[in-house]
Amino acid sequence: MATKIEDAKSTSEADWRAGLSDDRLREILHLLKLCRYFDERMEALYRQGRLPGAIYSGRGQEGTHVGVTFALRPDDSLFPTHRDLSAQLAKGLDLKRVMAQFWGRIDGYTRGRDGNSHIGDWQGNRTWTVMSHLPIAYPVACGAALAYKRKAEPKVAMAICGDGATSNGRWHEALNVSAIHELPVVWVVNNNQYAYSTPNRLEMPTPTIAERASAYGMPGIRVDGQDVLDVYRVANQAVERARGGGGPTLIESVSLRWRGHAGHDPAKYVPQEMLERYIREKDPVRRFEELLLARGVVDEDAVKQTQDRVEREFDEGYGFAQASPYPVPSDVTRGLWVEDGYWSSEPSREGGTG
Amino acid sequence: MAQATVEAGAAGHGAEPRGKRTEDGQATYLIAIAEGLWEEMERDDRVFLLGEDIGVYGGAFKVTEGFIERFGPERVIDTPIVEETIVGMALGAAMEGLRPVAEFQYADFMSSGFDEITTALARYHYRSGVPTPVVLRAPSGGGVRASSFHSENPEPWFAYAPGLKVICPAFPTDAKGLLKSAIRDDNPCVFLEHKWIYRRIKELVPEDPDLLIPIGKANVRREGTDVSIVTYGMMVHLALEAAEELSHDGVDVEVVDLRSIVPLDTETILRSVEKTSRALVLSESHRFLGTTAEVASVIAEEGFAHLDAPVVRMAPPSVPVPFSPVLEDAYLPQVADIVEGVRKLSTW
Repeated sequence: MATKIEDAKSTSEADWRAGLSDDRLREILHLLKLCRYFDERMEALYRQGRLPGAIYSGRGQEGTHVGVTFALRPDDSLFPTHRDLSAQLAKGLDLKRVMAQFWGRIDGYTRGRDGNSHIGDWQGNRTWTVMSHLPIAYPVACGAALAYKRKAEPKVAMAICGDGATSNGRWHEALNVSAIHELPVVWVVNNNQYAYSTPNRLEMPTPTIAERASAYGMPGIRVDGQDVLDVYRVANQAVERARGGGGPTLIESVSLRWRGHAGHDPAKYVPQEMLERYIREKDPVRRFEELLLARGVVDEDAVKQTQDRVEREFDEGYGFAQASPYPVPSDVTRGLWVEDGYWSSEPSREGGTG
Repeated sequence: MAQATVEAGAAGHGAEPRGKRTEDGQATYLIAIAEGLWEEMERDDRVFLLGEDIGVYGGAFKVTEGFIERFGPERVIDTPIVEETIVGMALGAAMEGLRPVAEFQYADFMSSGFDEITTALARYHYRSGVPTPVVLRAPSGGGVRASSFHSENPEPWFAYAPGLKVICPAFPTDAKGLLKSAIRDDNPCVFLEHKWIYRRIKELVPEDPDLLIPIGKANVRREGTDVSIVTYGMMVHLALEAAEELSHDGVDVEVVDLRSIVPLDTETILRSVEKTSRALVLSESHRFLGTTAEVASVIAEEGFAHLDAPVVRMAPPSVPVPFSPVLEDAYLPQVADIVEGVRKLSTW
């Protein structure tokens, strides 16, 4: 198999829209703005002490998450991380249930059994319920892809992790195995330049993550994560390559994490000047909004309407979460075993499953 | 179907393991396990195997000898040395509707896949409601002079991780019936085979293709009235030998084979203690926070009223399994130790 490492570049003027219709482009804008607004509001609630648990901001990285996920079909599977809420929403998670999860309520995707962005909806839209031990889902994505191949189903598994997780042995194991068996997988690394506080230069000796793909005989592509359409183009090629039996691809999407690792982290280890430059010049949400304005896909009025819709959706989600009951404490041991029936029964409005 | 029978030991050519039984129809523990795997693969196309050297080589202990010829490399997958990925792949395939059975060459190497087992596999259903029918098979236990890295009994590690059933059979029929139950179970199961038993113990194993032993039910292997020995795995065989010896001295020992650590059949344990009023809890896992600690506390908490003597535990000290035969014998409970322990307990 030919190994290809390249930097993806914006393509010709004729393909500025990456083959997406106006409606799809507006959908992307809505998702980008929703995720940005959600991120900002949740941080405010967290700082006010009105949100239990933790938050993991994905601000500044929305272009990567929305771009890669938009390349998937509904029955393709997605294995994201705790920082990838914009990917989860793009894949189809319901904001109301997401927010119920953050407040530990019965209508959250894990019924209060996990918190914050440790969410998934496998039955609903093939999204893995996130775990902290990254890249714990990389091998799992291999297994899902193995099943697609074995059953000759034209489906693709996509796994996301950050640059930090690429140092873990499992990352290398999974890439290796996926290449050996030519599995229909797309490996996405959201290189936000810091593993918590540790910069790229202390994480790896190579200048890029994409070039590691050559060790596993697969293409490695590096793309600007601030440009959602560039990310989408690259992801779409990789997904279709995988779907067509061409095997796995590694995508490195470069961005910067604007906030700390978690809500408690002020991220003083990020040089202030670099951060300001990214926010000023490379904001993936504003860049995309300006693109659609310039291309006439939206006007100022439509942008305002999108923003209003986003704020309304957040408020509705917040209200839904606060009105959702807590799970019944006596159910704490249920749901461990399939045969206890907890997950096969719908919870009542009192939060129990009787 | 494969040929009906071949000469014992002549497999490796896609012949079913039943052909490897003895002339009078007995199966070793190893062959019984191979039969269970084979039958489930014949019955259900979703069942597949993955692990190191299980295909062409037939597995480190030859349990899967002949399988790749019969079921092909898509259902008998030789993996690189990637324990975390073996487990993670099994989980992902199970989430997509397959029923993987992963083999570890030795139970000791399960520590190399620990995170995917205890974090991903064990906890996924409780948090998501998604069934994860995965079986992890691994040869465990000592007594074969295999030293520290090929003799371990890791069942307490996995029993401590909520969400895993932990099965430790001691007899061929139980091994086959429990393995078939595990493969048909919708929860993840850690199936710890015992390498000392593999070729040592054989018996007539029922021909029933639906031979299913329920997971979580202990078995009273020997009825007795004076002292209960509660144990599992290789120690069942040592306990039975000790019981036989003690019977000559008029001490009537009951031997309870737990068969699984999770779920733990506390009902059968307590019923036995109610009958004998004396309990010796015996295991090959370490004494400190090992299986005996949990079983003894169940008896102390829930069976106190039945007891005529304190619960006695017998288990190896908390050191790595040593190699030198004299050291390993000092480490593992021996028949003589059990005999002496029961004697003391019976006169307490």
